Amino acid sequence: MKMVKLLCVLAAGALLATSNASAQNIRLGADVDAGTLDPRVMRDTTAYRVVNLLYDGLVQLDASLQPSPNLAESWSNPEPTMWIFNLRDGVKFHDGSSLDAGDVVFTFETILDPELKARFRSLFTPIETIEAVDDLTVRITLKEPYAPLLSYLDMGIVPSDYVEGGGDLSSNPVGTGQMQLASWERGSRIVLEPYGDHWSGQTPANGFEFVVVGDNTARAQAFEAGDLEIIQSPLSPQDIGRLVGDDRFQNAIMGGLGITYLNINVSDPLLADPQLRRALSMLVDQETIVGQIYEGVDQVATSILLPSSWAYDASITQPTFDPEGASSAFAAAGWTDTDGNGILDRDGQDLELTLSTHSEDPNRIQALEYIQFLMQENGVNASISISDWPAFSAGVRVGEHQIALLGWLNIVDPDRLMYAQFHSSGTLNWGGYANAEVDQLLDTGRASIDVDDRIAAYQAAAGMIADELPYFVIAYQGYQVFYSGDISLVPDARGMMRSAARN
Amino acid sequence: MFSWRGNLSLAAGGTIIATIVLFVLFGPLVSGYEFDQMDMRNRLQLPSAIHWLGTDNFGRDLWTRMAVGARVSMVIAVSSVAIAVVVGVTVGLVSGYFGGWVDLAIMRVVDIFLGIPPIVLALAIVAALGPGVVNLTLSLAAVFWTEYARVVRSVTLSHREADYVAAAVALGASKARILFIEILPNVVGPVIVLATLGIGTAIIAESGLSFLGFGVEPPTPTWGWTLAYGTRYLRAAPWLSTVAGLAIMITVLGFNLFGDGLRDYLDPRGVARRYRRLSST
Amino acid sequence: MLIYTARRLILFLPIAIGIVAVTFAIMQLLPGDPAAVLLGEDASEEGVRDIRQALGLDQPWWIRLGTYYFDLLHGDMGVSYFQNQPVVDAIGQRLVPTLEVAIVALLISIVIGIVFGVVAAVRRGTPIDAFCMLFAQLGVSMPVFWFGILLMYLFAIQLDMLPSIGRGPPLVPALGRALMGNPGDLGLALMHIAMPALTLGLTNAAVISRLVRSSMLETLGQDYIRTARAKGLAPTRIVLVHSLRNAMLTVVSVMGLRFGALLGGAVLTESIFGWPGLGQLAVAAISQRDIPLIQGVVLTFALAFALVNVLVDLLYAVIDPRIRYE
Repeated sequence: MKMVKLLCVLAAGALLATSNASAQNIRLGADVDAGTLDPRVMRDTTAYRVVNLLYDGLVQLDASLQPSPNLAESWSNPEPTMWIFNLRDGVKFHDGSSLDAGDVVFTFETILDPELKARFRSLFTPIETIEAVDDLTVRITLKEPYAPLLSYLDMGIVPSDYVEGGGDLSSNPVGTGQMQLASWERGSRIVLEPYGDHWSGQTPANGFEFVVVGDNTARAQAFEAGDLEIIQSPLSPQDIGRLVGDDRFQNAIMGGLGITYLNINVSDPLLADPQLRRALSMLVDQETIVGQIYEGVDQVATSILLPSSWAYDASITQPTFDPEGASSAFAAAGWTDTDGNGILDRDGQDLELTLSTHSEDPNRIQALEYIQFLMQENGVNASISISDWPAFSAGVRVGEHQIALLGWLNIVDPDRLMYAQFHSSGTLNWGGYANAEVDQLLDTGRASIDVDDRIAAYQAAAGMIADELPYFVIAYQGYQVFYSGDISLVPDARGMMRSAARN
Repeated sequence: MFSWRGNLSLAAGGTIIATIVLFVLFGPLVSGYEFDQMDMRNRLQLPSAIHWLGTDNFGRDLWTRMAVGARVSMVIAVSSVAIAVVVGVTVGLVSGYFGGWVDLAIMRVVDIFLGIPPIVLALAIVAALGPGVVNLTLSLAAVFWTEYARVVRSVTLSHREADYVAAAVALGASKARILFIEILPNVVGPVIVLATLGIGTAIIAESGLSFLGFGVEPPTPTWGWTLAYGTRYLRAAPWLSTVAGLAIMITVLGFNLFGDGLRDYLDPRGVARRYRRLSST
Repeated sequence: MLIYTARRLILFLPIAIGIVAVTFAIMQLLPGDPAAVLLGEDASEEGVRDIRQALGLDQPWWIRLGTYYFDLLHGDMGVSYFQNQPVVDAIGQRLVPTLEVAIVALLISIVIGIVFGVVAAVRRGTPIDAFCMLFAQLGVSMPVFWFGILLMYLFAIQLDMLPSIGRGPPLVPALGRALMGNPGDLGLALMHIAMPALTLGLTNAAVISRLVRSSMLETLGQDYIRTARAKGLAPTRIVLVHSLRNAMLTVVSVMGLRFGALLGGAVLTESIFGWPGLGQLAVAAISQRDIPLIQGVVLTFALAFALVNVLVDLLYAVIDPRIRYE
């Protein structure tokens, strides 16, 4: 009896404590803990999303990915290789110091220094010099014209004095954003509180609490149990239908900024034949993969260009699912089943391929399993190899794979998905795809300032890629967010939460 | 001391194991489906007359996949324990019989392996070797062998000075003969008991590794993989995880009961259990 | 006893050296390059080379292993590649939550195990005995993560009684505040820890209940118990005082070894319940090839394991005064 009483007291105390602690904060589910909250070296999606609230960049990207003023009030482009940015006056960091041009220079100079090990360093390597003209003016000089630069300048600006004075941005971030760090319990939660001195003069009414739950299913369950108010991609497709049907929750699906694709290694002796690549592509049932395995969150892809991009053209198309077409394409490439064993052969050799992906993403494994089944059904003896990301990516990077299923994220500019991947000198061209015309088009797209010229170049290149198929793009990744009834927000395809508020 | 409990355990465990063997042998034949035949229009179907246990997320017949999966899971469990037994028994015999610095060195190696948490060790080894049935088996064996080494060593120690060993030495028997002909029979009982129980542990360990993403490669089915996947469909298709989970539970139960029953016959003095007490002091 | 403890800890040294070497060797075998993982999918060859150099990965293995031993000797476990903080700090933040849940799991399993074991032994051969032993058998036959997800589904979603994820306020300070008359935090902490601890403790509870039962049956049949009975002592006293002490001896001796399994089980439990402990850290470190962090976590586990075993031996002597360590 005493025991029951004690339990009642404890439970009542617990209820009180819960309601007090979380009256203000909006609780979001996160799939991983942030490794570091220094924008220059951040690596994971949680860090992106937290850093976006803690820091401001020179520009910010609006919903259609157009750069708009942020810490830079305005900018100009007097020569193709020169950009001038005029900074906002009176911006204060969370530690009370003022933002000036020196902080901007410091941010990018340190990113370019290999010692910092910045993940996005390669995005900024076309920069020749970056200098402070005066306290509020920054000049960037490029080695060669580089149109995508502006899209990457939403990188958070860090306070140089703080860092040089020994401040540790990784665990004690100091930015100019609307939120500042309240506490960070590693592996568990990151709590942000409103920053009263933001340059916009606006102070949000509530803070944020990013709660780490690694398992997708468990995270969805926590959301349903009311322990989280917002969850967003990555989600398990099998949870989505149920959550959509629950009228306690609101949700939004939108085109994301990523693709899921098959990397078909053109340097492989078998797959060097474009006709074979074409035939194999016709065995990928995109409709079923997207509709059944991804439960309709993603979109069937038609080319390397994203529908959300200004360069998109629906008339550029890759082959679509067509087993009969594939069969004649195989025959045209010399592959027929002469010995009646159910497997296509040529010169006495069976058509055998290895499909690979990484073990971290169950949906990719399922998609690959389905593709393997379709290939097997249609005379290709395909086997599957799955290893964890470090091992898998090490093999792909040196072009050891045959057909690999993986993805690209954060494609804010077509250059980001094409130059390094398909240019014969590209750093991410693992299969060694080489096409002089594509090279020229990608150079044009990168160097030209005129948007129409860029569009024409990328569309022409995308057409050739859809034809020669070093990549077969399976899906445009969707972004989905669920939020409970008392939250309002304007969804953003990158999962940024600046707009989230309590009703 | 042959108790009614022991006999009951043996009978119940034996029945369960026999049922699984029958299921492995005839399960795929009677279903009329291939384990890897997909049918995306009929995915996640409830159990019915057409699909006795329903279908999985690719519309594959769950009954067939469970039957084939039983075979794969058993192969992994039995062979990982078998490897662990061979390595552990050899190491334990050598360590216990020769004593001195050989024993000291071997037991420090055992301590090192015991000091690394089992699941971390298994994970790291699977990550190093890559996934697949063979590598999964090896990684489990790497975790299990220490147990046998310790039991066998302690039994060997207690027999080393026995009269019959001294007699064999006096008669000029070779070291190999003494180890494998004279001493080995004494450890067979406890080792068989431990191994039977170990098979259950291996089945559970395989499911845990599958849950963390380090299982076999598709489309090869295992019970652990089906359970790990099934938990993701806990709400939409609860029968997936229930069928796989119950199958694992009942099988492990079968091996545990069988092992307990065997104990009465093969290890009446409880060596397999007591070794732990010896080693902790 | 102090000398004994010191000797045991010195004996741990060669094991620690060996564990570092074995872990290092496995890390060498792991395919994949931490530098490339650090840079993400758009890692360029040049970038990877620069980072390998910055991390010292371009050195031959014997220099790296030697450096690690040297630093370790000076109390330095290196800096995590991915957490941007010293390994000691990263582990320090995760150690307390893991110990919290492991100790509560241990307590739960000892209580459940003893109750079931004693009841089964006393009611030997009855349906109650059969029920208790069925529980014991099923408890060791159930995959831990399945049990955890079912628990979460039942208590957090269907019944909405317990928080599904995360850790509440730190347990020890909350306990302190509860003793000062403010139990709110303690309640919150316990509600969060209940499901992870139960999940982690299930197998253990099953193992203990079997041990307690068989050990009790053994002692109940022994001469001195018969003597006690003959002297007319009340049966409950016989059960509790005489046999339980013997049963505890068995339980304590096995707990040392079970603690390793408990820490291992934490890997699965923590990832289901979003518990910020060492288990999750270990999995993340392996999947990122964060070599200094893996080394640190494995060493911490090993040290904890060794300490617990020393503790077990000492406890053993307390429970059974006949045992002496010199």
